[in-house]
Order: sequence, then structure tokens, then C-alpha cells
Amino acid sequence: MSHQDIQTRHSQKIAQSFRGKPLDGAALKNLIEAGLTWLRTNQQLVNSLNVFPVPDGDTGTNMVLTMQSAFDEISLSPERNFGKMMHAVAHGALMGARGNSGVILSQLWRGFARAVDNIEVLDGPTFVQALANARDTAYKGVVRPVEGTILTVAKDAAQAAEEALTQTNDPLTILEYVVRAADASVQRTPELLPVLKEAGVVDSGGKGLFFILEGMLRFAYGQPLEAPTATIQPLGAMKLAELEEVIEPGQDFEVIVDFRPSSPLDIEGFYRTLETMGTSIQVGEGDGIYRLHIHVPTEKLYEPLTYTQSLGIVTKAAIENLIAQMEENQGSPKGTGLSLAPVEPNQIAVVAVSPGPGIARVFASLGVAAIVEGGQTMNPSTQEIINAFENLPTDKIIILPNNKNIILAAQSAAEMTVKKVAVVPSKSVPQGLSAMLRLVPHGDFEEVVRDMIEALDQVETGEITIATRDVEIDGVQTKAGQVIALHNGQLVAASDTLEEACLRLLKIAHADHFELITLFYGADVSKQEVNRIADIIRSNYREQEVEIQEGGQPHYHFIISIE
Amino acid sequence: MTEKDIPPGSIHISKRAIATIAYQAARTSYGVVGLAAKNLVAGLSNVIVKDPTHGVEVHYDGNEINIDVYIIIEYGTRIKSVASSVGNTIRYHVERALGIPVNQVNVHVQGLRVSETD
Repeated sequence: MSHQDIQTRHSQKIAQSFRGKPLDGAALKNLIEAGLTWLRTNQQLVNSLNVFPVPDGDTGTNMVLTMQSAFDEISLSPERNFGKMMHAVAHGALMGARGNSGVILSQLWRGFARAVDNIEVLDGPTFVQALANARDTAYKGVVRPVEGTILTVAKDAAQAAEEALTQTNDPLTILEYVVRAADASVQRTPELLPVLKEAGVVDSGGKGLFFILEGMLRFAYGQPLEAPTATIQPLGAMKLAELEEVIEPGQDFEVIVDFRPSSPLDIEGFYRTLETMGTSIQVGEGDGIYRLHIHVPTEKLYEPLTYTQSLGIVTKAAIENLIAQMEENQGSPKGTGLSLAPVEPNQIAVVAVSPGPGIARVFASLGVAAIVEGGQTMNPSTQEIINAFENLPTDKIIILPNNKNIILAAQSAAEMTVKKVAVVPSKSVPQGLSAMLRLVPHGDFEEVVRDMIEALDQVETGEITIATRDVEIDGVQTKAGQVIALHNGQLVAASDTLEEACLRLLKIAHADHFELITLFYGADVSKQEVNRIADIIRSNYREQEVEIQEGGQPHYHFIISIE
Repeated sequence: MTEKDIPPGSIHISKRAIATIAYQAARTSYGVVGLAAKNLVAGLSNVIVKDPTHGVEVHYDGNEINIDVYIIIEYGTRIKSVASSVGNTIRYHVERALGIPVNQVNVHVQGLRVSETD
């Protein structure tokens, strides 16, 4: 579509909905409401562009609240005078300004209002003058203006308005130029602000301002404001990995295309065309590049490529066979990157429940055939346990629950299958590992199970965690927030520090009679802290070997194996 | 001085270095049109020496970092929003640069600048 076509099409639409209506106070009220509505419709998109994790809220939300306050100020006003109405808008925005972007927005309105003092009806030249004044006022509010932000977008919009004035005197036609310039300006923000480029996003405040202006224009065209045109997200926020897990029939191939459209993309038409090709459509945008993600059936494999090529330049394309990929993934847990032991028919295979990725790796290295995620606060269901071994190519299964709360689920899993399943009732990770060392994959099933059960008692288990409430058990008093130590599941000590809890636990467990102390540290402890505590333990237990393993389990700072 | 152990030595970060980060963050924060000295005497000495930490005080008691910043805000902006944005921005930039949490950022609005009256 040529530039001229867009012009004509837009002008016709304006003629339909705004014919003969002067841009007075009442019209302004409609436009402000339209800007607010369109911004709110796209609020989440703007929020998703946030780069700075500052705690004063998301840009989209802040701008919506600021605009809401501006609109509340005028929503019941019968004022017909444009200038007076504009001052009320500015006042409302000022009172409700939230966050950085909200404050800047309120300054833009303030500057705009000052240029239209007592103007009855807005005309083109005044509109352009007011935009310039809005820009100047906003720039005055900061010592060192940062370019590539909402300020830059306001500046470029004002500039475009001045240029438009040489072509037309009609405020709504000028607004068209302004919206187009704001859009282009938003696209350029990553060039001006490196932090945006790094994150692969455009500036959120600038995008918010664009939506407000575009909303006004959409209203003038009589276009809907409630539903977003299509969901386009910043490239950095696209979560493609999650999509791959839900594969439906007809989704044979995943196609990802990066392309640079030669003219602004008509998002609605773009989506409609894509929907004829496939499913799981996601479109990301950043820095002028669009990334399309789609699942298509085999016969339409090349259609997304041909289509995007017709829109502009394809910079990168990737095609993956989902069916083949899914078959490869069978049997291995998603995303953990574990190398689980291969299982031969008729051998004994072990399924272990693991509370953390590190512990799962240790089990895998000992020859476990399948891992079920689960622990103290996230017990796996019977079904999850069955799923883990049902597809293994053997009938002899041993389950290590590794937590006393999971033993029951494991036993019912054993009863609900035709396979020969035995539960070795390990109550803790150290017990499970100790049992695992006795596994003879091609041995006699009954004998191996007996051996593994026997091994359970040859290790002492220590657990270090935080008390969630005040309690007295087994003569030990604890307060919520204290570090507590459990020895073979019994509460034995409470303390204010991790190291003291560890030392008291080791003493009660008679660690000095054993040879090896292994610390599996949890997700909540830093490596430095672990090393510090390990050193303290080493200096107290010079005869014993002290090992550190990353456990990755939640809640439990340490799971300690003493053997 | 702030200290953080690294094997086999340690890192020292001066209060002045922290103040410089905070100063730069405050200056690019919207609504802030200047930083001001806490009192007149400091103000005078700052006029003589161009100080990159003017209007910022960093306190460190061996445990916590507290920052006091003295700012001038543009008249006509919502002071509460500007002040809380400044606090958040300073905290973000200092924590990101240092990797150490900041306990408190206290924002003192020392004055308003009137560039245009409504």
C-alpha cells in the first residue's frame, strides 16, 4: 500500500466519524478517553518492555493510572472550551502522576495545556504549537535528558507535526503524521539507548505515549479500542521453549523466521494470513526485526517463509521437525540435561524421586533410569511416578521415594501396574543414595531389593532447614525463623546460625564414628556460605572426609549424609 | 569503607565512589533539575570545587549502606512521584554497580525550580 493510499483511506474514515465536529472540549474528552482505553488495552505489552526492575511499578500500569486520573478530572465536565478542558486534563494528570513515565506524561499535558489557554476550538497551527510546548516543558524537567525514551518520542512527534503543517491545516490529519512519527521514533529507541538494545526491546514509556496517540487516532477513524490488534511482544520476552511442550496433531514442524518488513506491518492482516497456515503463532518485535514462531503441518512447511519473504527481507529462518524431536525426548525428563542410565530389557531399573536438580544428577551418575521431581513440599502423585517407569523397556522396577511422605504414593504406584515393582522405602536422599550403591542391574530382583533395603540403615541422615513456626518437639524448643536440625527425621537442635546447627547435628549423629560426611547444599545457600561451613566442619572433624555436592533442593539448606 | 572479601585479597569501595554513582543516577532521573548541598557551608565549598558528589551523602556503618540525597525538583511536577522515582533509580544503579544491597535511600527535597508559572 502506498503512502498516498494510506492518506486517502484514513481521510475518508475521519470524514465519516468526525465530519463537521469541531475539536472542542467535548471532542477532547472523547479523545482522552480513547487514548486511555487504547493504552489500557495494550498495558501488558507496555509492561513487558520494562528493562529496569525498579520497584515503583510497571510503566504501562503507571501511565494508565496517570491517564485515568486525567480522565476522571474531566469525565463529568460539561465544558465546551478546549483550552479549559485541557487544563483540567493537565491538572488531573499531575495529581495522579505515577512513576517516572507518569510524571513525564503529566508534564507533556501541562505544556500542551499552556499553549491552548482559552482556545475554544483547536486548529492545526495551535495544535502544532501546543505539541512543541509540550516537548519543551517535558525537556525542562530533567538536568540531563536521556534520549531513546518517551522524551525523544515526544520530540520526534512535535517535529513531525511542524512538518505536517506545510501540507495541511487539519488537526486530525496532523495527528496522523504525529502517530506515524511516534511509531517510527519508538522503533529507533534501541539505537539511542544501549540498555534497550541489549534487552531486545523498545522503550516502554515511548511505546505508551504512542498508544495514547494512536488510540486517539483510532477513535477518530471509528476503529475499535477494546481488543488489541494482535499480541506482539518484545523479542526478549518470547518464551519459545515452553511452546514446544504442547504439540498437537497437525503441528509437524516448528518454523521460526526473523524478517525485516519493507513497509510497516499490518498486524491484523498478518495474523489472519498466518492463521490459515498453522497454530501456536507468536510474533516478537525488536529493533525493526520481527520474529515469527509458528507450528505448521508438513504440507505447509514453506508457506511462512514464502509469505514473510513477500513482506520484506528474511534475515534468518529455522525449521525443526517436532515429531522427531518429541520422539527423541521420550523418557528423559524435560530440560534437566540429565544423562540417565540406558535400560536394557529384563534388567532392573531404578526410579528415584529427587528434590533438586543437583541431587538428580548424583542419582543419574549412580545409574538411575528415571527421575521424578518431588520432595518435602511438592510430593509427586502416584500417576507421576507410574509415568516415570511405564515406558521403560523392562518389567523389573525399583522405586526410591527418598522422603517418608512419598513412600505411600510410591507403594500405590507399585500396585497399579502390571510390572514387577518394589519400593525400597528410603526416607531421605542419603538413604536413597546409600541404597543405590547396592544396585546390581542384572542381579536377582528379590536379592537386590533386600540388599538395598538393608543399606538404608547404614547411613545417618541430617537435614538443616528453617522453622516455619514456634514449636516444641522432642524436648527441643524452636522459634519461627530459627535454623533447625533433623537427625533421621527427628528434630534434634535449633540454633540461630547455620554452622552451629550443623555442628550440633553432627555431634548428635556421632559423626566422629563415621568416615564420610557429604553436604548436599540447597538452592537457598550461596556457594561461599557452603565453603565457609564446610571449612568449619573440616576443622572440627579432621579424621573424616567432608564432601560438598550441589543438591539444588528448595527449603533445605543442607541435606547431610553421614556414612 | 565498604569491604567485601575475595580470595586472596579484598575490595574497597570508597563512599565517594558510591556517591558518584548516586549523583549520576539522580541527575538523569526525571523531575530532578539539580542537586543541592545539605547546608550553606558545604554549598559554598562546592561552588569552589566542582564536586561530582555534590548533594549526596553516603553512610556506611560496617553493615549497611545508607544514602542521603538532596535535590531540587521542577515546579509543577508531582513531588512525591519524582522523589520516589529518584530513590528507586539511585538504589537500582548503586546496587547493580556494587552487587551489595542498599539499606536506605533518603530523598530530601531542598527546593523547587520555577521555570514557567501556570
